[in-house]
Amino acid sequence: MKGIFVKMKHLAPSAAILAVGALTLSACGGASATGEEASGGDSDLQGTLTGIGASSQKAAMDAWSADFTSQNSGVTVNYSPDGSGAGREQFLAGNAQFAGSDAHLDDDEVKAGKDACGADGAFEFPVYISPIAVTFNVKGVDELNLSPDTIAKIFKGEITNWNDKTIKADNPDAKLPDLKITAVHRADDSGTTENFAEYLKATAEKTWDAEVDGNFPKEYGGEAAQGTDGVIQTVSDTDGAIGYADASAVGELSTAKVKVGDEFVELSPEAASKVVDASEKVEGRGEGDLAFDLARDTTESGAYPIVLVSYHLVCSSYKDQETVDMVKAWEKFVVSEEGQKSAAESAGSAPLSDDLRSQIEEVIDSIKVAE
Amino acid sequence: MTTADTAIAKPAKLTSKQLPQATPWVVATASIVLAIVIGFVFFGGFNVPVVAVLAGLINMVAVFVLSASYEGRRKAVDRVATTVVTSTFVLACVPLISLLWLTASKGGAAISGDLLSRTMLGMKGVLDQQYVAGEATLAGGFYHAIVGTVLITLAACVISIPIGVLTAIYLVEYAGKNRLGRAITFLVDVMTGIPSIVAGLFAFALFSTVANVLMPASAGIAKTGFTAAVALSVLMVPIVVRNTEEILRLVPMDLREASYALGVPKWKTIMKIVLPTSVSGILSGVTIAIARVIGETAPIMVTAGFAKTLNWNLFSGWMSTLPTYIYDSQLRPVSPGAAALASSERAWAAALVLVLLVMVLNLLARIIAKVLAPKSGR
Repeated sequence: MKGIFVKMKHLAPSAAILAVGALTLSACGGASATGEEASGGDSDLQGTLTGIGASSQKAAMDAWSADFTSQNSGVTVNYSPDGSGAGREQFLAGNAQFAGSDAHLDDDEVKAGKDACGADGAFEFPVYISPIAVTFNVKGVDELNLSPDTIAKIFKGEITNWNDKTIKADNPDAKLPDLKITAVHRADDSGTTENFAEYLKATAEKTWDAEVDGNFPKEYGGEAAQGTDGVIQTVSDTDGAIGYADASAVGELSTAKVKVGDEFVELSPEAASKVVDASEKVEGRGEGDLAFDLARDTTESGAYPIVLVSYHLVCSSYKDQETVDMVKAWEKFVVSEEGQKSAAESAGSAPLSDDLRSQIEEVIDSIKVAE
Repeated sequence: MTTADTAIAKPAKLTSKQLPQATPWVVATASIVLAIVIGFVFFGGFNVPVVAVLAGLINMVAVFVLSASYEGRRKAVDRVATTVVTSTFVLACVPLISLLWLTASKGGAAISGDLLSRTMLGMKGVLDQQYVAGEATLAGGFYHAIVGTVLITLAACVISIPIGVLTAIYLVEYAGKNRLGRAITFLVDVMTGIPSIVAGLFAFALFSTVANVLMPASAGIAKTGFTAAVALSVLMVPIVVRNTEEILRLVPMDLREASYALGVPKWKTIMKIVLPTSVSGILSGVTIAIARVIGETAPIMVTAGFAKTLNWNLFSGWMSTLPTYIYDSQLRPVSPGAAALASSERAWAAALVLVLLVMVLNLLARIIAKVLAPKSGR
């Protein structure tokens, strides 16, 4: 043993360097993202909130938790973007205090919610509305009106040229060139594709005969691009291209107006949140369950129906007052004007309408401690 | 002709007719130049893979023809074999060098003291948009991920090194060829093949079951740095056992017998003779195991979540490590769209730090091994 100890002496210098290194590592650092000391905030909430769910909300979640923790420095908000399905499952199994989901609970899950959250079950409400843009790149054309059926035919490959008479019928004033249409879709499984397909299924069922799915129907052909960025890149690079993508990513590209009722609606945050207001709640649900059947085929004036709506799921009751206070404060911040504005800036989402907000706030207020 | 003449003539023939030493290099350079020219003429421009493949083929043919016409067939085949082996080696180096180069150039461009000392606390998309628009410096950082990597890896070492080394000692010194020894060897072999995600799920399932029994209805307390450390040690133990076993078997039997002959008991022989003799080898084995697990992503994601803030406590709360940080930044940027570039830059900087961390560990292991190695040549 002595031999080892003698040899250890040689190691002393390197051990010392290591120790010093570890000390410097712990001495500096730990500052926030901007390098400023985290300000205290004036709340005395203390604890950790854990959420699991949809990755579509990730960017908004980053913004919410950043702002929320700057006001409540005692709270840590963790969010694991494992996907909507995983989020609902883990939440119902009691592994998370809240979940994010692109789809509302189905009937079986509502029942499971009663086991997980007590008699009133789980509460759910929309928090994140993200409009999906139909974006195009045709030289000399800045504005484009499209009816759902035309969009479906273009992406199905039935309309292949920009001077097709179907497109002309919607755009009597536009100078449409004799140019091949390149329809760009997502190559990967995505919520954007699913919502886009759901919209077309609801509004142009005769043309769009494929099943609604996160994967674009292969038999329809067209150009596939990886991820939102890939779609935007391909559309920008190709004259005559048309694609669909999250509105926040569109940037400089032109977006098409979509026919709703008798008018063509331009994409805007307000128009996107309007469609949620025009939608019916899912029937047979509890009072705290604000699940919507999105009215994709709405004729409401000024509503833009191609949207992705993402929910938050919380319990109707938690076991202690601390958690209840934390969840209430957190969810109230998420749906507040400030929270929605922050998400709009960082993630490009559309803010909730005031009407919907007051409904949600009522639900949040009814969260209580389990008996 | 006398016999003496033949005797002198033969060795002369062996050494004669040999190409000058610099020939392979000259031929290789010439083939590369020729390949570039052909590339320009037939493939319209300079294309690295085309030139490389062409140069390799031209070089091989040229070496063979040149050597066969001058030195004879035997030598030519030998030279071609040398060329093939060398080019395979170069081929194997290509991914490594290009990976290091890419990490160093992209990460080096992005890295800064701020990134090293900040966390993602308070990070939101607006900050990245300002950076991309040139209005602000790059916000955010991965100090919390460095701390998480170091803590989780250390904890994994604390768990798996004693288990691994002691198992190896049992296998080599005590088990001989008995049934238990064979069973352990078999299990260690099976463990070596466990996919890392399975190790992560195992650790998570274990801890959430325990947590549900001890503290029901406390959401998410099973995801901690310690759970991740357990997952990593599942991956580490078999590597440590395997390496230590090999090293212990290398200790000459004579040393042990000499010790026994002096009346030293078995445990003391192991402590004072076997382990000191092999300590440098054991340590290199441990370093290899560390280097293997420090870059694991999947099991950490399942067991420790994605933390945005600094957490020094292994037993409570989520933790980030560099690999999960890189994965998360690249796949789900803080700001989608054009400003995702900022997340990507942070990810490259984190990748550079991770590579450096592994390299420093390897160097450290070499130094330790050298210092502790038994002095030879007495």
